[in-house]
Amino acid sequence: MGYGRSDSYRVATTQDKDGKGSPKKKGERDMDELKKEVAVTEHKMSVEECCRKHNTDIVQGLTNAKAAEFLLRDGPNALTPPPTTPEWVKFCRNLFGGFSLLLWLGAMLCFVAYIIQAITEDEPAGDNLYLGIVLSVVVIITGCFSYFQEAKSSKIMESFKNMVPQQALVIREGEKMQIDAVEVVAGDLVEIKGGDRIPADLRVVSAHGCKVDNSSLTGESEPQSRSPDCTSDNPLETKNIVFFSTNCVEGTARGIVIFTGDRTVMGRIATLASGLDTGKTPIAKEIEHFIHIITGVAVFLGLSFFILSIILGYSWLEAVIFLIGIIVANVPEGLLATVTVCLTLTAKRMAKKNCLVKNLEAVETLGSTSTICSDKTGTLTQNRMTVAHMWFDNQIHEADTTEDQSGASFDKSSATWIALARIAALCNRAVFKAGQDQFPILKRDVAGDASESALLKCIELCCGSVRAMRDRNKKVAEIPFNSTNKYQLSIHDTEDPNDNRYLLVMKGAPERILDRCSTILLQGKEQPMDEELKEAFQSAYMELGGLGERVLGFCHLLMPEDQYPKGFAFDCDDVNFTTDNMCFVGLMSMIDPPRAAVPDAVGKCRSAGIKVIMVTGDHPITAKAIAKGVGIISEGNETVEDIAARLNIPVSQVNPRDAKACVIHGTDLKDMAGDHIDDILRNHTEIVFARTSPQQKLIIVEGCQRGGAIVAVTGDGVNDSPALKKADIGVAMGISGSDVSKQAADMILLDDNFASIVTGVEEGRLIFDNLKKSIAYTLTSNIPEITPFLFFICASIPLPLGTITILCIDLGTDMVPAISLAYETAESDIMKRQPRNPARDKLVNERLISIAYGQIGMIQALGGFFAYFVILAENGFLPSMLIGTRLSWDDRTVNDLEDSYGQQWTYEQRKIVEYTCHTAFFVSIVVVQWADLIVCKTRRNSVFQQGMRNKILIFGLFEETALAAFLSYTPGMDVALRMYPLKPSWWFCAFPYSLLIFVYDEIRKLILRRNPGGWVEKETYY
Amino acid sequence: MAKEDDERKPKSAPWTEFFWNPRTHEVMGRTASSWGLIILFYLVFYTFLAGMFVLTMYVMLCTIDEYKPTYQDRLAIPGLMIRPKGELMEIIYNIEDTESWDKYIQKLDNFLAPYNDSVQAQKNDVCTPDSFFYQEDSGEVRNNPKRSCQFNRTMLGSCSGLGSESDVRTYGYGTGQPCIFIKLNRVIGMLPGKGQAPYVSCGPKNQDTDKIGELEYFPTNGSYNFMYYPFYGIRAQVNYSQPLVAVKFTNITYNTDVNVECKIISDTITEYSERDKFAGRVSFRLRINKNI
Repeated sequence: MGYGRSDSYRVATTQDKDGKGSPKKKGERDMDELKKEVAVTEHKMSVEECCRKHNTDIVQGLTNAKAAEFLLRDGPNALTPPPTTPEWVKFCRNLFGGFSLLLWLGAMLCFVAYIIQAITEDEPAGDNLYLGIVLSVVVIITGCFSYFQEAKSSKIMESFKNMVPQQALVIREGEKMQIDAVEVVAGDLVEIKGGDRIPADLRVVSAHGCKVDNSSLTGESEPQSRSPDCTSDNPLETKNIVFFSTNCVEGTARGIVIFTGDRTVMGRIATLASGLDTGKTPIAKEIEHFIHIITGVAVFLGLSFFILSIILGYSWLEAVIFLIGIIVANVPEGLLATVTVCLTLTAKRMAKKNCLVKNLEAVETLGSTSTICSDKTGTLTQNRMTVAHMWFDNQIHEADTTEDQSGASFDKSSATWIALARIAALCNRAVFKAGQDQFPILKRDVAGDASESALLKCIELCCGSVRAMRDRNKKVAEIPFNSTNKYQLSIHDTEDPNDNRYLLVMKGAPERILDRCSTILLQGKEQPMDEELKEAFQSAYMELGGLGERVLGFCHLLMPEDQYPKGFAFDCDDVNFTTDNMCFVGLMSMIDPPRAAVPDAVGKCRSAGIKVIMVTGDHPITAKAIAKGVGIISEGNETVEDIAARLNIPVSQVNPRDAKACVIHGTDLKDMAGDHIDDILRNHTEIVFARTSPQQKLIIVEGCQRGGAIVAVTGDGVNDSPALKKADIGVAMGISGSDVSKQAADMILLDDNFASIVTGVEEGRLIFDNLKKSIAYTLTSNIPEITPFLFFICASIPLPLGTITILCIDLGTDMVPAISLAYETAESDIMKRQPRNPARDKLVNERLISIAYGQIGMIQALGGFFAYFVILAENGFLPSMLIGTRLSWDDRTVNDLEDSYGQQWTYEQRKIVEYTCHTAFFVSIVVVQWADLIVCKTRRNSVFQQGMRNKILIFGLFEETALAAFLSYTPGMDVALRMYPLKPSWWFCAFPYSLLIFVYDEIRKLILRRNPGGWVEKETYY
Repeated sequence: MAKEDDERKPKSAPWTEFFWNPRTHEVMGRTASSWGLIILFYLVFYTFLAGMFVLTMYVMLCTIDEYKPTYQDRLAIPGLMIRPKGELMEIIYNIEDTESWDKYIQKLDNFLAPYNDSVQAQKNDVCTPDSFFYQEDSGEVRNNPKRSCQFNRTMLGSCSGLGSESDVRTYGYGTGQPCIFIKLNRVIGMLPGKGQAPYVSCGPKNQDTDKIGELEYFPTNGSYNFMYYPFYGIRAQVNYSQPLVAVKFTNITYNTDVNVECKIISDTITEYSERDKFAGRVSFRLRINKNI
């Protein structure tokens, strides 16, 4: 198409050779891959040369034998799917990753200890074997759990895998035949028609009105016509190449296959994308960091107490058993499963809001995002040409471009408007497809090109049925648009049956239309065109063009009856009627308007400290207009060019630092060094990149990442996919997105709406906060789990808490409450703060450890120990006698151990008391974890401000209590888990400590709120 | 800009800077005053916690009775225990090898010393046999110290270890007829029977029926007389003498393991715990080697 501004559009399309010249240290291979892209030379060859090159015949096609030979040589015409990790590797990664290694070590030590016991003792106690099995089962179950969670989210993708067109029409040995597209080989003569998907990269040899939609490759939303002529050196621009996996919109064409499969342009981009290593997601890095901390603590404590116990004179076997205990106590076994569940819950919540997350860890990434590089077409805009402005009666009128027609309207009573509407409706070949009356006008499908569809919809909305209007004005003759005339005209009967004149309506490039006009319609009255009006026309045309809109001019002429009587034979090929001295009616301009929700979403992103950069393949003027429209370039901010224009000085004299905004053209980007790009990214807050190639999108993303940003990229085309892959989080469009882009992305916006990203950011930030709370909650109970062992070793007291009970806490009572924290609502407006700095704001930091381990955990440990001492004392073992009793306490042959009252206990009798202590310690941890859960709900606010509206959390409180009671009171638990029923009073031992936790933390948070930035915040705000 | 970059990249600095950063004077990421504050905070915090813990412990200990534990439900069936205990409840010795059994003799001598008649006469009372020796407190007024009944070593007859004959003095160990002393675990307030005094009955365990030979019990019947019960706890009943039953294996088979199980026969202790092998019973292994 080539109306109006499309001319300049074309000119600007001298696309660079993909930054070939810029020497980038990073990714030599990437460059090589992309350099190959320009290796297409067929477009510059003549058809004959091309045939020779591919050993084919322009009429007969390949012979079957040759086709088979080529198929063998080149392989099937299909994209190699991106390499996938084998399932068993994924499974093993889950089985041996994270804490699992530590737990496997514990289990192995258990088995070793049991084997040693089995060899040295007659009747080995089964405890270690039992514990070893339990630990192994725990590891396997949590491993399987995360494996299945992962598998579930990756299954979503399977529906997107159908990429290659199914059938292709080829000519071989002179015969047309339908074959599977995978069997198409280079040199095949292929016929395509409207609606087909292109089976391979083709050199067009003949075409009839063929138009292809290259949007997935180049990002241009407009269908491109195709012909056998070479129109550009750039293979992406030339008209005689059609590309694999793009769509033929209308017409037919015949072409020679020049590349198949992975060697196609599309295939190369896909390969480039899948070849990029993406690195770990921020949350994965955080979890790794956290696992390192915990493992470090576990290994450090384990080894030092191992050595200590050897020094204290314990046997090797005992030391090993202590080591197991310390490992089990230190590792929060359920935590990774909790994190997985929390992420899954958020992923589900986001899916409900149209954000489909492919990779679970990507849930949080949007929350950390500090830069969004957004594609324009289809993401920020509706990807639908719409009439935006009209100029008639010497005045610019604004049309409603919103999706739901909620925008402003204009005065429709003017006679000029009626004339303009009539021209737009009549001189228009677009029609609504049948059977769509129930849909709103804007949603209906139209047969016809984008501009005409836009006019059709506009008129249908404003003036009612276009079909009726066309019926009233029967078309007599028509000259369709062609690029030499740059206009389209048609001749119609008038509405008035008594008027025998014909109506000639014409539309086209405004300057061409104006040239043909001698009068202009103002307020329904024809007036002669004078210089003043021409000036007005020019300024209106410039203004609309400056908005990045495509402008069309409209004129009409009531043909004099004397010259063109009824029945006059209009000859459209050899024009036998006047096309001059017409009456100019007006201008209409069209744009792909921004989506309604986008400006708001961009604003929210901005207030959330996220820099929104537009990266588009489209023209700079259009890009800038849309950027201004959606607020990517905010009101009042100027580019260097704007400043230059305002001050009327050359661009070179403007200090680039004065301009916050900038629009950068792909051809300029090509010549820039990495430093310069960094400089631009750092010094401009509002950036638009226009006319960028896939490779440049990649460079932009890399530039942002070099600056320490966490980058989200949104896009729908194949040309976006390398950038999508390289980004920390790639966001593809679910409706308009190409399969390659969906494959490369981590997240898919099901409604193609940029505003959904804001939801993603919000959810991502919320889950990061909530994971902190969840981890703080879970880690706290580690201290009451570790300290019993330490005291057991150092003070030789009977063991206060056993390994099985520790597992009951970590995998039982702590789970639901920890997960429930994922449902916690935000404490403050999380969209008003800056994105987290990945170098500084860690998921688990020393402040969280200080609070969880050093403060709350210690109170919890005291609560547990108190319960332990209470039970022993009430059974006759006063605290004073406990220190040092471990040796005889754990001696099976001492069956007359004396308590503080002189009573004598058999081994089994006192062990029951000990296990009752374990149970009480366990219950006490549950009791203090109540308070901890409530305390962990908030990091800054008081719980009284936050409220207790989290129903899952309340359920969690009851659930953990019920589970604890179940474990304690169910008959048979004494045998199964060695847990014994508690006397009711023992439940209350830890209550004072629970209360203390609540009061202490409320006071801490009160001080924290009162003294922002004070010592308490610096040391305890996690 | 370049300066800022330098500032931003201390990560590449040597890791030793973590321990001492000469530029900022930080030790492990904190300055001296920062360390001082955080240590002071934890000092105060932990002192407070310790205080709170001591307080709750004090309150708890106040609720604990000095003379009787709050709960005794885990002691429903008193345990039985043997003396000498041996290693892993095994008594293994060689008759010819004096040293192999001398350690048992010494242990028993020490164990039985408080039962010497002279000591008993000095500390304890003579009580009426065959009836419980109640010494209840009258309301709030403690009836302390409580008296205990004499259990004289001579009651153990040939297992008393008193006398001139080496057989008696070595508790039969030297002659291959060892005495094993069985005591019933002390439980405050326990009355081990109703009508008839509880007694110890030993027998072979497993298939060792013919190896065990004949047994002799001291005192007669191997019973624990009612007068030693109830026990009031060592705090109230300082000189309590735990009654003993001695079992003498008169013609045990030599050079073989003999598994023995002794049970308390009582009309109140009727059931034995499946899991607790020492509640109301005790089993041990006896092996007396004799060079042929």
